[in-house]
Amino acid sequence: MTELSERRRERRARQVAPRQLAAQISYTQPRHELLDTNGIRRLHDAAMRVLREFGVDFYDEECRAIFADHGALVKGETVFLDEELVMRAVARAPRQFTQLARNPAHHVVIGADKVTFAPVYGPPFVQDLDGVRRDATLADFQNFVKLAYLSPWMHHSGGTVVEPMDEPVATRHLDMVLSHILYSDKAFMGSVTSGPNAADSVTMAEIVFGAAAIREHPALISLINVSSPRRYDDRMLAALKVYARARQGLLITPFILTGAMGPASIAGSLAQLIAEALAGIALVQLIEPGCPVIFGSFLSTMDLQSGALTMGTPEAQLGLYCAAQMARHYGLPFRSGGAFSSAKLPDAQAGYESALSMLPTLQAGTHFVLHAAGWLDNGLAAGYAKFMLDCELLGMLHTWVKGVDLSDEALAFDAMAEVPPGGHYLGTGHTMRHFRDAFYRAELFDYTSSEQWELNGAQDSYARASAKARQLLASYEPPPLDPAIAANLHAFVAERKAAIAREPRDF
Amino acid sequence: MSLKELSDDDLWLQMQDDLYDGQKDEVVEETKEALARGHTPQQVLSEGLVAGMDIVGADFRDGILFVPEVLMSANAMKAGMEILRPLLVETGAPRIGKMVIGTVKGDIHDIGKNLVAMMMEGAGFEVINLGVNNDAQKFIDAIREHQPEIIGMSALLTTTMPYMKVVIQALKDEGLRDDVYVMVGGAPVTESFGQAVGADAYARDAAVAVEMAKAYMARRRGEGVAA
Ligand code: B12
Repeated sequence: MTELSERRRERRARQVAPRQLAAQISYTQPRHELLDTNGIRRLHDAAMRVLREFGVDFYDEECRAIFADHGALVKGETVFLDEELVMRAVARAPRQFTQLARNPAHHVVIGADKVTFAPVYGPPFVQDLDGVRRDATLADFQNFVKLAYLSPWMHHSGGTVVEPMDEPVATRHLDMVLSHILYSDKAFMGSVTSGPNAADSVTMAEIVFGAAAIREHPALISLINVSSPRRYDDRMLAALKVYARARQGLLITPFILTGAMGPASIAGSLAQLIAEALAGIALVQLIEPGCPVIFGSFLSTMDLQSGALTMGTPEAQLGLYCAAQMARHYGLPFRSGGAFSSAKLPDAQAGYESALSMLPTLQAGTHFVLHAAGWLDNGLAAGYAKFMLDCELLGMLHTWVKGVDLSDEALAFDAMAEVPPGGHYLGTGHTMRHFRDAFYRAELFDYTSSEQWELNGAQDSYARASAKARQLLASYEPPPLDPAIAANLHAFVAERKAAIAREPRDF
Repeated sequence: MSLKELSDDDLWLQMQDDLYDGQKDEVVEETKEALARGHTPQQVLSEGLVAGMDIVGADFRDGILFVPEVLMSANAMKAGMEILRPLLVETGAPRIGKMVIGTVKGDIHDIGKNLVAMMMEGAGFEVINLGVNNDAQKFIDAIREHQPEIIGMSALLTTTMPYMKVVIQALKDEGLRDDVYVMVGGAPVTESFGQAVGADAYARDAAVAVEMAKAYMARRRGEGVAA
């Protein structure tokens, strides 16, 4: 009896134990490619022509001077680049790199055959656990960091998971970076809202990892958006320079709403996007050869009837496949995709749009997937329940990406030998070896009979996801952090806040 | 049939059709023709241009016209207005209104602001588009130079939204605040945020912005505020 109850205890424990972070998934399936060699050449040539004939604006004198020093033609704020210069610089970028996490088990490989999932970025609003849309706060920020930390399917803590509107603009970046470090041990992103904010992010990373360590492997990846069409703004460039000089990772992403910020065609928008991304990547490599960079693509469509933004549309996915292929062609790690949706709550639209965005993201071989969970309302809101449901999808995709195992064990002849025609496999030795993890088991999707579902309270997935988020947040415990590092961080943040308070500023 | 052979009623209809189709050159010709026939600028405006753009507005709202078509119509409207505007001033007709619009310092999101500018022009407003990344001084200089009734500020970043308040304070400091109707917008901006920074109006989209601007101009005329 004692033995039995002990076993029972063991099994129950297994049931409730939090799942460990799943290993970063590796692509084993062939990539879905839409371009043949001629297609690649056409897009490349078009991009080179954009750079040569139209150029890209850089709202930063020093950046323009760097280009000019390397032989680019600069007229006013516009930099015209020839193929030789761009491709020579781009060739210096590493094909893959490792980003450090506080917990070494959570370091992430960016590039190669690996996928990294990171949470939603930027929303000023949340769709909270009561379904209310309201301003995001620092508490929400920390909650999303916690949920990402607790999800076995989320490899990264992200950046501005929500915009903490209750904190002063001038010091928000300090609270955000600090929260990533205190509440998670996964890798995170730096602030890009100004050069000094970027420098603060670097200092905090140095406090945690050591200055030498982060020059060897970046501790930060930061999001530099191109202000399409063909324009890099002063803030982004100020941040880019700081991070490049510190050899921190840069995620260079043109964001094109096709039809408004790029031509109303996928090919034309791609040509522009490639040109814009390569121009920024070249700049990074001219500043700091070998600095880790990611070729980003955010291509979405605009409803040209109403002028509204549309997400998860089929054209965006076609563009994604091609952009991924071009990044591969240039030997660069690739960022795109996300659980995109225009829906305001995690309803059917949200589910369809997000699934329709995520599957192509993986089919294309994307390496870094920002916005992999939580995105609602065209990026204006982060949804708690949506975050949980998206994580469920990420879990499924972990299995999906692995493809099919064709080993002898998987071919399972022994099981077939055991089962006569018309028999069943539920008790074979093979099944006994694999039943626990043979198939992905969704926690938030319902597989019960309709009667049982009624008896369980007739909840939809939205309600189940909200309950799960509540439960996780209630049970959350922070990962350990060296008290000396924590003290240094707090001291730095306090010192910077005091200094910033003394600086003259508009608001 | 040449323009000259059209009856007055058909001329108005032709103008409305050409506005609908975004035929700028035609609208210009028709505006001149209508004036040449002795119609007052006010009449040309209301019977031709405004009547035409009302149809455009309704069909945009109803999902029939697309943004690029509305843009063409707005450009045609703007071209017609350029002819009428000085004449309207001469005849002392009430002004449709002038707007200075731009995104605030630090913000380069401009698609939404440009849509608002386009729709305002479509409604006959004269629009001075300051582009992106404008500090308070730029708004002030533009107000002094162009004497608008309305200023519009756009921000899409929560980090730049507070700057709207800085601009409004600067307007007060310069004694300009009471001369202008301050409208704010941009996806993360809300009605309550607009009130908090001391704006006069918040509009969630371009069509609403136009309605509010028109309503304000009507009030301003009605209340006899000096133009
Ligand atoms: C396109 C886009 C960009 C483009 C902008 C290009 C361009 N030429 O405009 C690029 C890629 C450059 C960009 C950059 C960044 N972006 Co951005 N961007 C967007 C996005 C997806 C859409 C904006 C848009 O064009 N909408 C379509 C237009 C038609 O709608 P609209 O602007 O809302 O305008 C309508 C109304 O609001 C209103 N309106 C607008 N202005 C006005 C003015 C007046 C007076 C009135 C009455 C009405 C009015 O009428 C318009 C028409 O109906 C939004 C998300 C979103 N859903 O809004 C994020 C978003 C605004 N961006 C965001 C961020 C974070 C950034 C970056 C900081 C990212 C980065 N790390 O690089 C940079 C900042 C650049 C800078 N210095 O400004 C966040 C901001 C949230 C926050 N935290 O504050 C958002 C919400 C997305 C997100 N989740 O990250 N972005």
